[in-house]
Amino acid sequence: MYRYDEFDAEMVSSRVAQFKAQVERRLSGALSEAEFRPLRLMNGLYLQLHAYMLRVAVPYGTLNSTQMRKLADLADKYDRGYGHITTRQNVQFNWPELTDVPDMLKELASVEMHAIQTSGNCIRNVTSDPYAGAIADEIEDPRPTCEILRQWSTLHPEFAFLPRKFKIAVIASKKDRALIRAHDIGLEIIENDAGEIGYRVYVGGGLGRTPVIGQVLRDFLPRVELLPYLEATLRIYNRYGRRDNKFKARIKILVQETGIEDFRTQVEAEYAELVPLDIAVSPEEVARITQYFSPPDYKDLKDIEVKTDDPAYSRWLKHNVLENKTPGYSIVNISLKPKERAPGDVTSEQMRIAADLADEFSFSEIRTTHQQNLVLPYVETQELENVYKKLVAAKMAEGNIGLITDIICCPGMDFCSLATARSIPVSQAIAERFWDAERQAVIGEMQIKISGCINACGHHHVGHIGILGLEKAGVEFYQVKIGGDPSENTALGQITGPGFSQEELIDGIERMVDHYIEIRENEERFIDTVRRAGVETFKEVLYVDA
Amino acid sequence: MSSAKHKGKGPQSLTANTLRDGLSVWLTPEFDWSMKYSDALITEDDETIGKMERIGEESEHANDVVAPYFIDVEAESGLPVRYREKFRVRGPSYDTATLVPLDIQKV
Repeated sequence: MYRYDEFDAEMVSSRVAQFKAQVERRLSGALSEAEFRPLRLMNGLYLQLHAYMLRVAVPYGTLNSTQMRKLADLADKYDRGYGHITTRQNVQFNWPELTDVPDMLKELASVEMHAIQTSGNCIRNVTSDPYAGAIADEIEDPRPTCEILRQWSTLHPEFAFLPRKFKIAVIASKKDRALIRAHDIGLEIIENDAGEIGYRVYVGGGLGRTPVIGQVLRDFLPRVELLPYLEATLRIYNRYGRRDNKFKARIKILVQETGIEDFRTQVEAEYAELVPLDIAVSPEEVARITQYFSPPDYKDLKDIEVKTDDPAYSRWLKHNVLENKTPGYSIVNISLKPKERAPGDVTSEQMRIAADLADEFSFSEIRTTHQQNLVLPYVETQELENVYKKLVAAKMAEGNIGLITDIICCPGMDFCSLATARSIPVSQAIAERFWDAERQAVIGEMQIKISGCINACGHHHVGHIGILGLEKAGVEFYQVKIGGDPSENTALGQITGPGFSQEELIDGIERMVDHYIEIRENEERFIDTVRRAGVETFKEVLYVDA
Repeated sequence: MSSAKHKGKGPQSLTANTLRDGLSVWLTPEFDWSMKYSDALITEDDETIGKMERIGEESEHANDVVAPYFIDVEAESGLPVRYREKFRVRGPSYDTATLVPLDIQKV
């Protein structure tokens, strides 16, 4: 893992001191709320529906056990005993008090963490593949690229006040586990015909009220050109992005209005002005940063086959465990989707148990996922049963990764000041309806995603079934989208029609799922059947009672 | 309609969040702030509403609360008109905090 150097440590600790003084000035009245608001947002502190909310950055979703324990301590000491994994791999606390936040940030700094750039119109926390460095299908570990981007973008003075927030995601495999084409910039690490490693650059993706799939800006960008090229792209956005209308200020709108060809021409012209590439990262610096992400000290093991008669353990092995690229090792997904809980919520006790498991079995490393789960990336396959037993005891052993109850869900009206309807109870109702493990296995891979407003933090546009919560005249109702896909075959779902009450919604989803099982062919997943048979046939069963 | 200045229709209540902990509060008949909506002052009287507005501004300047604003209240139920405001009154319908501590055994 990356370790702070003296510049990182100085920057974060000075920021903590600054914010402490800012809070003191706010409490004394020297700063008005209008003056203080942008300052607190720059430090990840929101004022939500019922209380403040602190969003802590988890760079590219990588945590060590010490950091996880610190998050647990913060949950107990300053919050209500739990945290929430967000759809951008960060961690949120729902109930901090303003007066405690400087101390929280100080404690975070002690374990090389912070909340900088988790809000505001800047380059946000860079996200990545949660299996980075452990999965066989990657060209290389994408995290050194993420770390280079983190260092470049942190407190970048030119990009601190962009027209709107800016999100970057990086992957290094053909399989997309980071939703890169729904980001302002998505980077895919690729190898060209000459065997050189570089980047395919996507631009202008995003969800929100205007969902757009990112388009290719550069088919192959040599590695050394990464930062200058992104600098040029951000400059074009900063110059021409719309500041007159908040809802049209994201780069996706600029790319749409400009057209990808003209946008590319503008970026390339700006890029040409940047020669010589004085901010290019030298191969030596890339190598230095890459060293931090060296593979752990794997033992020389052979792959083994794990056998069991225990159906629950068998399901967990099938759905939650993948092969690590190193023989004899596995990647373990820890589901944060128990039936009775909000997706992504994790108690302080569970955080500590995850940290203990990481220490004992995974070289002290943990990942957060945009699916709102955790990952232990480096577990000896022969230890899987031990890990499983400890997860069972911690109530974190649901074998439902990628299944219908592995739902992405934003906090919704229960916590968020922007929400128009609740999303957590909908998620819980779906989980309740489909909880039977055998039924989940029969249904197979399914991505249900729920957002409590059009800002789409719950990624509903790319759900195989996407649900959007709205409200009219004091009554919540839910619109349904079908056919979205968050994978490398990124697709936006189609709106089916008028919305439903929560009860009608769950019945309608069940009818669609039953219909899929009835008409599917061979090994088709739900999304495959939707593509083959079309959305209309699913709409017919969804609205059968209408 | 919710507004920092009174522009709504019918019965009004004044709400805000406390500066220190961010929790929702409502102005009471004693012109103090309460975390219980059941304590809220609800009135259509223009003179009282004018005083509420002044108290709200003073509380904000005194750094007790953040961004006070008026909310419309249903005459019959006494609850806020807007769904969002009803939610602020009720609090979250779900909070993992209520499930802590879990029955977790260390193996």
